[in-house]
Amino acid sequence: MESLIRVAVIGTGNIGTDLCERILLHQDFELVAFVGRRPNSPGLDKLRGRIRHTLSDGLDSLASIWAEIDGLFDATSAASHRLHWIEAQRAGKFVVDLTPSHLGRPIVPVLIGKTPRMDLEENFCANYSMVTCGGQSSAPLIYAMATHSDGIQEVEVSSSIASLSAGPATRDNLDEYITATENMARQITGCDATKSILVLNPAEPPVMMRTTVHLRVNHIDLGAVNQEIASLFPRVSEYVPGYELVVEPHMLDPHVASATVKVAGAGYYLPPYSGNLDIINAAAVETARLHFAQSH
Amino acid sequence: MVIKFQDVTLRDGNHALRHSMTPDFVSDYCKVADTAGIFSVEVGHGNGIGASSFLVGKASFSDRDLLSRARSALKKTRLGVHVIPGFATAKRDIQPAIDLGVDVFRIGTHATEATTARKHIEYLRSRDAYVQGVLMMSHSVNVQVLVSQAKQLRSYGADAVVIMDSAGNYIPNDVTTRISALVEGLDCEIGFHAHNNLGVGVSNSLAAIDAGASIIDGSAMGLGAGAGNAALEAIVATYRRLSSTPLQLQPLLDMSSLVETSYRDSLPRMTAVSIQSGNAGVFSGFAPHVKRVSQEYGISQEDLWTELGKRRLVAGQESMIREVAKDLMNL
Repeated sequence: MESLIRVAVIGTGNIGTDLCERILLHQDFELVAFVGRRPNSPGLDKLRGRIRHTLSDGLDSLASIWAEIDGLFDATSAASHRLHWIEAQRAGKFVVDLTPSHLGRPIVPVLIGKTPRMDLEENFCANYSMVTCGGQSSAPLIYAMATHSDGIQEVEVSSSIASLSAGPATRDNLDEYITATENMARQITGCDATKSILVLNPAEPPVMMRTTVHLRVNHIDLGAVNQEIASLFPRVSEYVPGYELVVEPHMLDPHVASATVKVAGAGYYLPPYSGNLDIINAAAVETARLHFAQSH
Repeated sequence: MVIKFQDVTLRDGNHALRHSMTPDFVSDYCKVADTAGIFSVEVGHGNGIGASSFLVGKASFSDRDLLSRARSALKKTRLGVHVIPGFATAKRDIQPAIDLGVDVFRIGTHATEATTARKHIEYLRSRDAYVQGVLMMSHSVNVQVLVSQAKQLRSYGADAVVIMDSAGNYIPNDVTTRISALVEGLDCEIGFHAHNNLGVGVSNSLAAIDAGASIIDGSAMGLGAGAGNAALEAIVATYRRLSSTPLQLQPLLDMSSLVETSYRDSLPRMTAVSIQSGNAGVFSGFAPHVKRVSQEYGISQEDLWTELGKRRLVAGQESMIREVAKDLMNL
């Protein structure tokens, strides 16, 4: 039997806690530690007694467990992540970064090997960035549409998410979100004219995340795009079960194609309307799995 | 109290023109507006600078083209822009507007999402810009929520807070209640921005002034999203009957005539559909998208508006209108 991937999660907010629940149910992983900064944080309470270590001294706690883990999921903040990455490099571990630091290599798991620079690191000690929820949800669709287009002139990614699923970090980093999402669209298509939009909707009951891709092209083969989607999306669904095409690719005018996906969360710890957070966590776990498999 | 009248013809009016307003028109209009004694003229894409997109509509001319022509034409009247975080960014859109000499920045969020404006307001305040915090779709929340969201905008540094009736849903009583609560609860100027879906845009604006608002938006001929805004010339004409003001009517009437002759075929009006959307409380800017999808799928606009209201869609969810139509038709 292959050895389990031994990991820790740092950051005990909603995202970190959801990651823990997800990892605990994944047969390839052993969750060794959950690390926070407050002994009585609700996230730590939830995991206490269920895993080997629940620790609350941040960086110091991390220093005590490097020997027991292969890799780290970082769900803290961009500023903290920079420090964690320095320590991880000293310890020779891989890191999957869920903060908006954008320090590591952007990865959309389903596109590994399909898109320029979308490759796993050769070194075991590596840093992967999970881009943004808009980036993760749009990338498969952009890839499917762009692969069967000629003369791509503009790419646009617009997402709407439930207000309740947008935490303080999302709200404070809208500009960074937009830039990172646009960079991903540029990386996949090679087209410089990219735009991304994020809208928060406070409706009750909360709305499910939607992401729409618009592409201005000289020509697009919609039949081939649909075939590409049919083969690609089931592989996305393997790690994001709630990923679904809701408006098929269609032409808004002779040169503008559009399509929309919906992302429902799997509901590990976060509620199903948090598809935006779910897809990031799902991508993080899948990236760690693939990285370990190829470099171990 | 001196009322700051803000002319949104060259911004909200772009909704009525599918964002096709020309730099020449902006320049011609600003030359007249500059003589009217109003506080500011707001210019740009209907959803604000940086919002030109396939999602809400591509602008025919760049923000830079429109703003620089307006800047050259305005000597006395301030130049303003609307900015929605999530569409526009500080680096790509706000900083160039500062560099172009924009005087009035309005940072707009949905009525519940004031926190998304913090970074952009702080960015502007640290550069000494005059900033109004704007709460859009203000009808969709109760008075307590509205006041607390307005206080947040103020705490980030907004010089004033403006509420928008983006769906044209209010009747004068609603405006009186909300503006009174805001004037009572905040230590800054309060403003109101009407839409005329139910035909009471001017009355609502007067109610706002009566309740203590000192910033009033309007547009020439009401050129704006959905059934349009409150006509600025009519607000001022009626306001002059109630209070003494140095504002002269003639320049505003000239601006109105300029809009009428230039965009005769695009003037907004109250219709069965606008009343429906106003009552449903749906963002007026959806109108062209609803019309298009209703024609494409052969579904009534009324049914679509009602369902969009039920689902409480907000600006920026234009691409969901198609999905809603398909759901209604069980496609």
